[in-house]
Amino acid sequence: MKHLIQLYVQQFKTTLAMMFQYRASLVIWTIGQVLEPLVYLIVWLVVAKSSGGSVGSYTTTDFAAYFIVLMLVNQVTYTWIMYEFEHRVREGVLSVALLKPVHPIHSDIADNISSKIITLPIMITIAIIFVFAFHASVAPPLWAILVFIPVLLLAFSVRFVLEWTLAQAAFWTTRVGAINQSYFVAFLFLSGQIAPLTLLPHPVQILSLLLPFRWLISFPVELLLGRLTMVETLIGLGAQFGWLIVSIILLRIVWRAGVKVYTAVGA
Amino acid sequence: MSKEKHNPMAYAIHVRDLSKFYVVSQQETGTKAAFQNLVHRRKTEVRAVDGISFDIEPGEIVGFLGPNGAGKTTTLKMLSGLLHPTSGELSVLGYVPSKREAVFLRQITLVMGQRNQLVWDIPAELTFELNQVIYRIPRDSYRSMVTELTELLDLGSLLKKPVRNLSLGERMKCEIAAALLHRPGVVFLDEPTIGLDVTMQQRIRTFIAEYNQRSGATVLLTSHYMADVAALCKRVLVIHHGKLLFDGELSGLLQQFTSHKTIIIQLDNCKANLSNYGEVKSYEDGRYTLRVPKAETARVTERLLAELPVIDLLVEEPPIEEVIARVFAQEEK
Amino acid sequence: MSYFRIFLAFLRVNIYGETAYRINFIIQLFQSLLNLGMTLGGLAIIFTYTNLLGGWQPNEVLALVGVYFLIGGIIRLIIQPGMEQLIESVRDGTLDFRLTKPADAQAIVSLQRVEIWEILEIILGLGVLIYALVKLGEIIGVLQAAEFVLMLTAGGVIIYSFFLILSTLSFWFVRVENILVIFQSVYEAGRWPVSLYPGWLRYGLTFIIPVAFATTIPAEALTSRLNWQTLVGAIALSIVLFIVSRIFWKTGLKRYSGASA
Repeated sequence: MKHLIQLYVQQFKTTLAMMFQYRASLVIWTIGQVLEPLVYLIVWLVVAKSSGGSVGSYTTTDFAAYFIVLMLVNQVTYTWIMYEFEHRVREGVLSVALLKPVHPIHSDIADNISSKIITLPIMITIAIIFVFAFHASVAPPLWAILVFIPVLLLAFSVRFVLEWTLAQAAFWTTRVGAINQSYFVAFLFLSGQIAPLTLLPHPVQILSLLLPFRWLISFPVELLLGRLTMVETLIGLGAQFGWLIVSIILLRIVWRAGVKVYTAVGA
Repeated sequence: MSKEKHNPMAYAIHVRDLSKFYVVSQQETGTKAAFQNLVHRRKTEVRAVDGISFDIEPGEIVGFLGPNGAGKTTTLKMLSGLLHPTSGELSVLGYVPSKREAVFLRQITLVMGQRNQLVWDIPAELTFELNQVIYRIPRDSYRSMVTELTELLDLGSLLKKPVRNLSLGERMKCEIAAALLHRPGVVFLDEPTIGLDVTMQQRIRTFIAEYNQRSGATVLLTSHYMADVAALCKRVLVIHHGKLLFDGELSGLLQQFTSHKTIIIQLDNCKANLSNYGEVKSYEDGRYTLRVPKAETARVTERLLAELPVIDLLVEEPPIEEVIARVFAQEEK
Repeated sequence: MSYFRIFLAFLRVNIYGETAYRINFIIQLFQSLLNLGMTLGGLAIIFTYTNLLGGWQPNEVLALVGVYFLIGGIIRLIIQPGMEQLIESVRDGTLDFRLTKPADAQAIVSLQRVEIWEILEIILGLGVLIYALVKLGEIIGVLQAAEFVLMLTAGGVIIYSFFLILSTLSFWFVRVENILVIFQSVYEAGRWPVSLYPGWLRYGLTFIIPVAFATTIPAEALTSRLNWQTLVGAIALSIVLFIVSRIFWKTGLKRYSGASA
C-alpha cells in the first residue's frame, strides 16, 4: 500500500510536468468538455421557454442546474483510456509496461486522478460562471450533499474499471473505433447527457435502469439536484456497488485473457 | 558447450528446445480475394524460433547474431516474458519468464533500440524517479546508481532536459540508464546501438563492458554491428531461420565458416593476368586483391612470389561481416 | 485543370492503399449510421416536447442536419487529412519532399490525403437533406438551389481557409498538433441553428470559429431564410479569407525555408 501511494505521488509529478507541456491541448480539451453540455443546456432552455417555462418536471433553472452539475460529474468520471489503449497495443508501447513489476492499471489511475486534480479548478470556475449566466439553482437536502461525494467516487471507480476493461478489446481487434463509438452513443443517451432520463421514452428509461450508464452520470446529478428520495438513493448506491463488483471481475478475466493473446502473437 | 551434468538452476539463462510458431493469415489484394478473406482466411505457420538450446553462465556477455527476421528479437522477448513460447523449456534466474512474476521482473531489463520507455515531453529524470518507485529501489541505492550511471555514460545535464530535445545518441544513453537503475542481474539488449554514430556506438559499448565488470550482470545482446559483438562478446550465438547455427567463441566462428582467405599483392608496375591464381576481387594501381581457398593459400602465395615481380604481399582473414553474410547466404540455398 | 489532376492522382494512391481493407467500408458505414442515429434520436426526443426550435420546424432542422453531415463529410474527406499531414510533416521535416515537387505547394499540401470512406458521410448527409426537403414539400426554385450551392461553396472555402491558417501556425509554433481538434468539438454545435445560441456564442460560432457559415447559412438558403446581406457577406468573407490564408501560407513557407536552410 505504501508503495502504491508513492507510485501515485510520483505519477502525479510526471503528469503535472506533462500537462505543463500540453497547456494548449488542455485548453482545447476543456472546450470540448464544456461545449457539449452547454449546447444541450441551451437547446433545452429554448424548448422550455417555448413551452411555457418548463418541460416535464424541469423548469429553465432546473435544466441549467442539471447540465452544469452534469458537466462536473462527467469531468470527474471521464477517462480517455479507450482511445489510448489501441495505440499502446498497436505500437507495442504496452510491452514496456508489461516489463514493469507493477500492474499497468495503477499508473493509469494515478495519471487520471492527477490530471483531474489539475483541471478541476478550471471546470469549477466555468461552472460558477454558468450558474450566474443561466440562473441555475439547486437546493438539495443536507444528506444528499453528504452522500454525493461517495456516490461520485463510486461513479468514477465504476466508469474507470468499465472503460479500462472495454479498452482491452484492442487485444483482439484493430478496429476498436467502432466499438468505442457504439459505447459512447449508448453512454450519451442512457446516462442522461442528451436529456434528463425522465424525458426519454418509457422503454429507454427501463433499459437505462438495467445498464450501468445512468448510475455513473444521471444518478449523481439527480442526487445533487435534490430530486431523489432516500430509498431511490439507496437503490442507486446498490446498483453502483453491484456494477463495481461486476466490472472488477470482468476486468480481471479480460486482462488475463488479453495478455495471453498479446504474449502469444507478440508486439 | 556440453555441460549437461550441470544443474540448470545454476545458469543465469537456461534454454532447451525453445520454439515459437506464429500462425499468420495471408492478406491478399484484389476485390475477390479481399471478400474471400472475410469468409475464410488462408493461414500459414511461421517458425520464428525453431528448437534452440543454450545455457548462459552468470556474468557472461553473449552476442546474438543473425539477419533480420532470424528470431533474435523473438527469443529476447520470450526470455523477458513478453512472449509465450510455443514449446520448450526456459528459465531465467530460475524463473519461468512468461509468468511475469514481480520478483522476476525486478531482476531483469530489456532495452529495445527503437522502443522507448522515456516519456517524450518531460525530462528523463522524472521517468527515473517513476522507475525508482515502480522497482522499489531504496533511496540510497537509487542515488548512488544515478551518480554511477551519470559518470559512466557522461549524462551530465541531459537528465534535466525534455527527452524530445535530446539527440538520438543522448536519448539512447538515458534510455539505457533508465533500464539499469534497479541493478538488474540479467540485461537483454536488442540493437542498443542502432542508428548511432561511431563514437556513440563506441561509448555505449565501453559502458556495457564496464557495467558487466562492475555488477557481474549477465548480458545478452543482439546487434547489426559486428563491431559491437567483436568488442564485447567472447561468445556468440548465431541464429538463422529460427535455428541455432553456431554457439561458441567468436574466433571459432571464423575458423568454422571461413573457406577462403584474401591475398593482397603489390606488383612492380606491371599488369598481369592473375585469374589462374585465384579469383581477382579488385585491381588498383598495381595492387590486386585475390580470393583464394583456405587450403591453397600457402601454395598460391609461393607461386605468386616465384612467378611475379611482387613488391608487397599480405594474407588476410576475410572481414567477419563477410563470413557471417556468407554463412547466411549458404543457408539460404 | 491541373489541380484536379493532382487531386485524382492523390485519390488513386489513397484508394489503392485502401482496397485491401474492404472491411473499413463496413466499419465506416456502421459508424456513420450510428452518428446519424444519435443525432436523429436527439432530435426526436426534443421534438416530442416542442414543434418549433428557435423558429425552425422539425423538417427544417432535419435539412440542417443533412447539411451538417454533408459538410462534415467534406471536411473529413479532404480538408482535415491534408492539414493534419501538413502539421505532421512540418514537425518531422518531410514537408521538404512536398516542396520540391514542380507544382503549387499549397495545392499539393491541401490535396495530399483523402479519407475515402468519409464519402459515406457525404452521401448520408445528401440523403437526409433530400428526405427533409421532400417532407417540407417546398418546391426548391432554381434561384434557391443556386443560393444553396453558392453558400455551400462559400462555407467550404471559409472552412478550408480557416483550417489552412490554423495549420500554417505550425511554421511558427511546432506544437499545434491538437489545434484542429478544436474545430471538431466546436463543429458539433453546428448541428443546431445558430440562432438558438446566446449572442456571445453565436458571434463566436460565426466569426471566431466559422461553423455557422458551414451549416446554418447554407441551410437558411434552402429554407427561405437567407437575406441578401448574409449572402453577399458570406461570399465576401470567403474571398477575403481565402486571400488572407494564401498570404499566411506564403509567409509561413518563407519562414520555413529560411529556418531550415
